[in-house]
Amino acid sequence: MTTTPSLHEDQPQLSWTRYLGFSTDAKVIGIQYIVLAFFFFLIGGFLAMIIRGELLTPPADLVDRTVYNGLYTMHGTIMLFLFIFPVLNGLNNLLIPTMIGAPDMAFPRLNTAAFWLVPVFGFLLIASFFVPGGPAYSGWWSYPPVSIQNPLGHLISGQSLWLLAVALSGVSSIMGAINFVTTILRMRAPGMSLFRMPVFCWTALAAQSLQLIGLPALTGGAVMLLFDLTVGTSFYRPEGGGDPVLYQHFFWFYSHPAVYVIILPVFGVFSELFPVYSRKPLFGYVYVCLASFIIVGLGLIVWVHHMFPSGVTMWMRNLFMFTTMLIAVPTGVKVFAWLGTLWRGKIQLTTPMLFCLGGLINFVFAGITGIMLATVPIDIHVSNTYFVVGHFHYVIYGAAVMGIFAAIYHWFPKFTGRMPYEGLGKLHFVLTFIGANLNFLPMHPLGLMGMPRRVSSYDPEFAFWNVLASLGAFLLGVSIIPFLLNMISSWARGPKATHNPWNAIGLEWLLPSPPPVENFEEHVPTVISRPYGYGTGLPLVEHQAEIERQLILQEASA
Amino acid sequence: MTTTTPQPLADHGAGHGAHGNHNLTGFIIFLCSESVIFLAFFSGYALLKLSALNWLPDGVEGLEWRTPLINTVVLVSSSGTIVLAEHFKAKEKIWLFRAFWLLTMAMGSYFLYGQALEWSGLQFGFTSGTFGGTFYLLTGFHGLHVATGILLMGIMLIKSFLPGNYVGGEQGVQATSLFWHFVDVIWIVLFLLIYVWQG
Amino acid sequence: MTPTPISINRPAVIAVSLWVGLLIGISRWVGLQSYHWFPVQASTAAPLVDGLFSFETAIGTFVFLAVASVMAWVILRHRAEKYDASDAEPIEGNTKLEIIWTAIPFVLVMAIAVYAMKVNTSLGVLGPMEHIHLADAREQQGGYAGDRLPAESIEVVARQWSWEFRYPEAGVSSTELHLPVDQPVTFRLVSEDVLHGFFIPAFRLKQDVIPGRAINFNLTPTRVGRYRLRDSQFSGTWFAANQADVVVDSQEDYQAWLKQAAHLPLQAGISDAVAEYQQRQQQTRTPGWATVKPAPPPQVNVPGSNALPHDA
Repeated sequence: MTTTPSLHEDQPQLSWTRYLGFSTDAKVIGIQYIVLAFFFFLIGGFLAMIIRGELLTPPADLVDRTVYNGLYTMHGTIMLFLFIFPVLNGLNNLLIPTMIGAPDMAFPRLNTAAFWLVPVFGFLLIASFFVPGGPAYSGWWSYPPVSIQNPLGHLISGQSLWLLAVALSGVSSIMGAINFVTTILRMRAPGMSLFRMPVFCWTALAAQSLQLIGLPALTGGAVMLLFDLTVGTSFYRPEGGGDPVLYQHFFWFYSHPAVYVIILPVFGVFSELFPVYSRKPLFGYVYVCLASFIIVGLGLIVWVHHMFPSGVTMWMRNLFMFTTMLIAVPTGVKVFAWLGTLWRGKIQLTTPMLFCLGGLINFVFAGITGIMLATVPIDIHVSNTYFVVGHFHYVIYGAAVMGIFAAIYHWFPKFTGRMPYEGLGKLHFVLTFIGANLNFLPMHPLGLMGMPRRVSSYDPEFAFWNVLASLGAFLLGVSIIPFLLNMISSWARGPKATHNPWNAIGLEWLLPSPPPVENFEEHVPTVISRPYGYGTGLPLVEHQAEIERQLILQEASA
Repeated sequence: MTTTTPQPLADHGAGHGAHGNHNLTGFIIFLCSESVIFLAFFSGYALLKLSALNWLPDGVEGLEWRTPLINTVVLVSSSGTIVLAEHFKAKEKIWLFRAFWLLTMAMGSYFLYGQALEWSGLQFGFTSGTFGGTFYLLTGFHGLHVATGILLMGIMLIKSFLPGNYVGGEQGVQATSLFWHFVDVIWIVLFLLIYVWQG
Repeated sequence: MTPTPISINRPAVIAVSLWVGLLIGISRWVGLQSYHWFPVQASTAAPLVDGLFSFETAIGTFVFLAVASVMAWVILRHRAEKYDASDAEPIEGNTKLEIIWTAIPFVLVMAIAVYAMKVNTSLGVLGPMEHIHLADAREQQGGYAGDRLPAESIEVVARQWSWEFRYPEAGVSSTELHLPVDQPVTFRLVSEDVLHGFFIPAFRLKQDVIPGRAINFNLTPTRVGRYRLRDSQFSGTWFAANQADVVVDSQEDYQAWLKQAAHLPLQAGISDAVAEYQQRQQQTRTPGWATVKPAPPPQVNVPGSNALPHDA
């Protein structure tokens, strides 16, 4: 290994048009993923606005009931399959190779294919709005027999397009997962043993392993559903001896772990950012790394808690209650580790830090309602009510999306070479935090009172909390405006970023901003200590001072 | 996906050199993941069968198991011939490798032929209740994998005739062979579930 | 749960203890408040569920406030000075603390789980399930097939989108569920088409109704009144409108209702979906997207009502 760090002075200015084509560069694909994901985020958010508009008043008066059912189905589907998963894959693409010092992903062409499937199935899903009969309307769970009723009887129905899109999404995710796992396992920088790897990579490895184990089960279940819907088999059709509950097992075997696929990388983001903005090492690094894999193991044996009222036997109810409760232990370890990191730190309330802190407190709230939902007798009362809707929106929006925003603000300078504006960022945070809590907190009392989820009309006694929730939703809708303004304007003409504007420790911060196409190329530094060595004075890599000096010289000459 | 992974990575876009070869790692990960689909189908089959009121459709007595048993023997022994082929390749006896490789392909094709013959003689269809559905789903999905395996072997066979045939692409043969063993193991479980467990 | 400083600092220990005491007081109060977040308690299950929820709310409130306190303290007191870019004192971990904060959640959740299991056993609401053949030909004519259920139980038939209740002993059927107070009832839940959810919030009980299966389900109402039965498992277009009323009567009123109902002729029961569907069909341009046609309203002795004021 040579010791001279590479100089990238003669790097040609890359045109922005590379973001429109079939690139094999992970950093281009990462940004493609994120931008496309936010495009669908706006569509999914717009659907949410109509949904909350309908729920402002008790009767079904804004849209037809059939339209309402289609809208909530597409809202969930778009947000999960076209926003959250792609945006996380975008972060994986940007961060994994740079954090472990790899020049690119292990299979760059597979990476390109995985990305370009996203617009394809995105188009299929959006197109399903325009087929006769309208889009799928049976919820993102798509439980049979409702999902195989097919009122018009056409082969091309909203539901069949939906299934096709979900299957393609599965293929894309599996391709991505194979790539991420191989890259993390085989392409780490010299000296970077697993216990010197950044926590984000640990959580990505954990999350992608879950994809590999869980997704095929859903795919298998979905294939059977597609056959029931289109050729008239009876896997789930009670008239032919099939069992609708079987589908629920397939579905939740994947879709519960899917929540960990979403939240684990966000835990990774928290673990990366709290040390930077507290100027302290991550408290209990090894425990935090291992906790991710304990969550993976437990996450695979809890799925029946989604089916407590579905007619499962008592022993199953009790067993899955215990396993679900156990998830609180590794999760608790992480939460305490973050608090330990913050404790006696030198806290800097930057925009990414604010999003992390807000995301953490929302996550703690969601964790507590999660324990309640794991408790069988309480779950029997609140399952399929707004309590559940409130709970998972706290997880997905309150914690995961907030964490994703934190990640975007934090790594934006690294990958665009420009600084985002702090003022707009803080405004974005305040609006998001208030909006999310105003939107999702009132859903809990609604659920306890007995308002079922997925209803297009409701009894008048639920009106008060619904009005509050709708106002929160509209505020959330507004909150995205400063974010978009910030991203567009700072990318176009924000102040130039140095290689390490946050004074953070990590291989990605030893690269120029933006990093060259092949990252370190063949000059990958040798890692000699654990990540997050804030205050220890230990260098992360060999010849760190020399590498940093070169980077500063390069920035000065630019 | 299965057709792209075993091939060596050439240049991929401006400024990208080769990044070392991780194809086999990726392929093994893919196989582990793929096995879960079968696991899902197997468990679905078992659950549906155990909870059925009338498992067999009217007029169906059960499945004939003798011919499928012969098929099974052929398919399982083809795992042996592919190992032999690999062995000869390691010893650089390329013609023996080709011969056993071709024999494996022939045995796989015989299996598919037997499967097609069996299907055409059955009195129930895909939509004949959960029995018909799961039967055709499992055997069909497995058959698809057998066909993919034969296709992969064909590609590898053609590549053996190209100059510089396996330079840097050894892993293609290994991956195909792994895939073939995988297909065999799945069939054994499938045979036990569908033909042996008829009670 | 705040990491205590290494040297014993007496005022700090007192302050933390006082704060923890305050949090415990608040958590207890919130736990008691949580009883008011529910509808009225109208079954034997309700106090058990509410009690468990109150217990978890108190614990949850404490955990949440403790975490929030640490975060607030850190944000207020451990903020970096302006222009101070230096690092803090590096603390990489503490094995003793790790063990403590692994053990605390473990003990807490296991305590909750054991408590919940006890409640579970005393609820014991889900009876054995049997697989059945659907769509009895006799039912297509209207009326009910009383011979398919054991005596002393009420058959609940869920459809897209109506609820029908059959009392085999009295030979009565209705679209309004009447139950005697303080008397255990057994339901036999069947669905004619898709999944439905049998959910009565005032009873705190819910059970999916699964086509192809008959599910026995027990409960005991404890309070006279009129409550809502809601469909809790998405069942298609008129899912939200698939509600029925549950009337808990005194023993005498219940018997009188049964007796009177037995003499009434069969007539169309309540199905809001059918009414809305007809309206929809009359429009020149059908609004919205495709829908499954609602099943005809069940033929019952007593249609009852689902528009009267209800207690919960």
